[in-house]
Amino acid sequence: MGEIFRRIRYLINRRRFDAELESDMEFHREMAARAGRSNFGNTLRMREQAREAWGWTWLDRLAQDLSYAARTLAHSPGFTVTAVLVLAIGIGVNVAAFSLFNMVALEPLPVRDPDSLVRLQRRSPEIISGQMPYATAMFYRDHAKTLSGVLTMMGARLSIEDDLEPVKTNFVSANFFRELGATAAYGRLLVAERDEAANAPPVVVLGHEFWQRRFGADPDIVGKVIHLNRRPVTVVGVEPFGFPSLDGQGAEVWLPMTQQPYFFEGSKVLTDVSNGSVRVWGRLARGATASQAEQELLGLTNELRKQYPKDIWKDEYIRSDPGGHLHVMEPEMYKVTEMVGVLTLLILAVTCANLGGLQLARGVAREREMGIRLGLGASAARIFRQLLTESLVLALIGSAAGLLLAWATLKIVLAKTASPVWLSATPDWRVLAFVVAMALMATLLFGFAPALQIARQRQRKTLARQLLVGAQIAASCVLLIVASLLVRAAQHALYTNPGFGYERVVSIDPGLGQHGYTPAAAGEYLGQMQSRLEALPGVTVVSLVKLAPLGHSIAREDTEINGRKASIYPNWVDERYFQAMEIPVLMGRSFLPKEKNAVVVSEALARRQWPGENPLGKKYGENTVVGVAGNAHVNAMNDGDSLEAYYSAQPADMPDMVVLVKSTGAPDGLTPIAKSIVESLNPKLFPEISLLRSGFRKDMEQVELVASTVTLIGLVAVALAGVGILGLVSFSVSQRLKEIAIRMALGATKVQVLAAVLRQFAWPVALGMAAGAGIAAAASGVLRIALYGVSNLDPASYAAAILVLMAIVGLAALLPARRALRMDLAKTLHYD
Amino acid sequence: MPAGALPMLILRVLQSGSLHGYALAQRIHILSSEVLAVEEGLLYPTLQKMLVKGWVTAEWGISETNRKVRFYRLTPEGRKHLKAELSDYDRVTQAIQDILRTA
Repeated sequence: MGEIFRRIRYLINRRRFDAELESDMEFHREMAARAGRSNFGNTLRMREQAREAWGWTWLDRLAQDLSYAARTLAHSPGFTVTAVLVLAIGIGVNVAAFSLFNMVALEPLPVRDPDSLVRLQRRSPEIISGQMPYATAMFYRDHAKTLSGVLTMMGARLSIEDDLEPVKTNFVSANFFRELGATAAYGRLLVAERDEAANAPPVVVLGHEFWQRRFGADPDIVGKVIHLNRRPVTVVGVEPFGFPSLDGQGAEVWLPMTQQPYFFEGSKVLTDVSNGSVRVWGRLARGATASQAEQELLGLTNELRKQYPKDIWKDEYIRSDPGGHLHVMEPEMYKVTEMVGVLTLLILAVTCANLGGLQLARGVAREREMGIRLGLGASAARIFRQLLTESLVLALIGSAAGLLLAWATLKIVLAKTASPVWLSATPDWRVLAFVVAMALMATLLFGFAPALQIARQRQRKTLARQLLVGAQIAASCVLLIVASLLVRAAQHALYTNPGFGYERVVSIDPGLGQHGYTPAAAGEYLGQMQSRLEALPGVTVVSLVKLAPLGHSIAREDTEINGRKASIYPNWVDERYFQAMEIPVLMGRSFLPKEKNAVVVSEALARRQWPGENPLGKKYGENTVVGVAGNAHVNAMNDGDSLEAYYSAQPADMPDMVVLVKSTGAPDGLTPIAKSIVESLNPKLFPEISLLRSGFRKDMEQVELVASTVTLIGLVAVALAGVGILGLVSFSVSQRLKEIAIRMALGATKVQVLAAVLRQFAWPVALGMAAGAGIAAAASGVLRIALYGVSNLDPASYAAAILVLMAIVGLAALLPARRALRMDLAKTLHYD
Repeated sequence: MPAGALPMLILRVLQSGSLHGYALAQRIHILSSEVLAVEEGLLYPTLQKMLVKGWVTAEWGISETNRKVRFYRLTPEGRKHLKAELSDYDRVTQAIQDILRTA
């Protein structure tokens, strides 16, 4: 212990200690001289040996190496700038990807105590649901001891004053803001004591951005009355700027959950136990863990089943996920993250292979310098350390540049995607640690092998170069193939028939269930609406569907058919659905009106479930197959493997149905007319009307974005590889100028000379491409779900990618080689 | 001289009082009847190592020739270490002698 202190004291007071040592030895010398002896030996060497005892020589050497590295890099600015740029891109891409992941999953939300927040969802082995009935949530709140609080949230759209556009609303439990530690910008936020009381007056909290936009940031709005869904409600406050909410669900206005029936007359949301309606979060009590909470909730669920045996599923349990981050990460999502991580690491690999090649080339140019140093007595280990330090300096500078690049990119992305205000591109400690780790890894990847080679002056440089070329080609090949697949998928999605018609369909959701309509009343209402709509000019078909196509809700069953995994998307439709959506009925027929126990399956489902047989008349669960429809991935356009099953809608389904209207011409004009029809039938309803076309466009935008990003990255990687090959070939050529000149003087044709020069690169390129294609084929199965039906082994994509790669590689190799062919033979032969 | 012996010798010599470097070398030379000679190149690195380990400290003083020089002094840790070294040395020497006598 004391030793460490002494060593540190030495480090701080170095000069004094060294001076003292010198004086000691001086004195010793004087005395010895007096006694007549004068054989002293090398003073400097002795002083050095004495200093070594303090154990700081490694620090001295490091400082030496660093300053030498800096000087060397400054002397060859061309190399340094190129290397830094290349590194900036390679590391920058990785840092950007990690920053995004950090923002979404690692960084805690700026709310009170985010680590104790958990998202609670209902699960059973067969069913997944993101929402639970409000009444059940309250039951858990009242009985769970491991949870110190329960928050609920329900999204809705309400009309405001007389505006055409509804406002995005969140109904939340009154403890929402307090639990998250938010304080109002003006007025007050929701409070349990006042807003959940039995006769509490209706109040609303305005979203900050909405308040600025709609009310001109007027502080006097607090206390005024506004009308939502034509009901008067008092504004009590404005949420704080940059309030993060939970799960990224912000809103324009916030209302207390207990007041929902005030706005939706007849709504049974607060008492109904059979339909999931709210999203639920819990706060773990002090000392409780998530698994303890899950245990307790399981017990409570079983108790609840005794009271409501039909509404609680068999084997239902409540699952908790960490809720304190921007996005609730469930284990399945980590697969996507892993894939992105692998892709970005591939880019790093290309970068480092590139640089490694450059380093090796430089090493050859520094042979003389190394020779002199070795001759003067430097050990190979010393030179190796010094070369590695050079690479480290380069990596550090490159990482700093990469961090800057990533930060700038992130800022642009955040600005363009209208992301929540409180997200910032500034790196936090996790990102910084990641950057340092990347720098170290890059150093090892591109600096280690060349340093080893150069220090030992081995002549295996050709093999090393070939390996590096091969690695770059392989990595670029994989990236290009992935990009090519995604581009093809985007094309396929945009220009191929998705199996249904969306261009001229309008969907109208009257929200009957939300307003407490009974099935009978809903059936009557829908019937009236249908006749009114059919009477409009230009309307061809009106049909009913439960889960609107390209809409908010999706249902999915994951099961196995004959041992293989299958995703089935069920829907409940009336008999005119297929006509409205232009989905061909290939075999059999559509339903009869209100037909019971009938099901129409998609072609792919029929083939999987009953391969080679006629599916008509077969039993599917409790239903009989009456028809087979063409594949139409209406609710999961990206998943080419998805299967659909359409059940005949029953009277009990009526309150949840959405109306689809198909017209002959452009559907835009239908919207206001539909709105007025709905309102004239019942002025208390506020339907959600949208064009299917817009939903489709939004999905496509995303697809295009992903495809273009990956293509960009792929092209960057290929450009890097191309530059690398260019450098290596031109270097190789410059080494062999004389040999080439002799060959040409002796009469070799251009082709023969080219062959001689490029032969060493032929097999690495070929092997690299083969390896890249192989890896891409093996690993791209993961991508299937995002490929919109394009096979992950699609030959056209692979061929395109390989051709592009060959073109770039060919160009990169031929350019310098051609230069060699045009040289002045006589001059070269005489030059030495 | 055996490399590991010097620290032990220095500690033993310093037990009787502080000395500066030259005097230390002289004392060892004389006490061993001129058999052992400590070169500068060995003495000072060893002294530095002992300073790091905390067995000796150095203080400024005036030499016989009226010059400022550092005197090395034994510390309590040094004393402890000396005792340990001496007993080890005894044991090892005894063992070697046993073998030489009887083998």
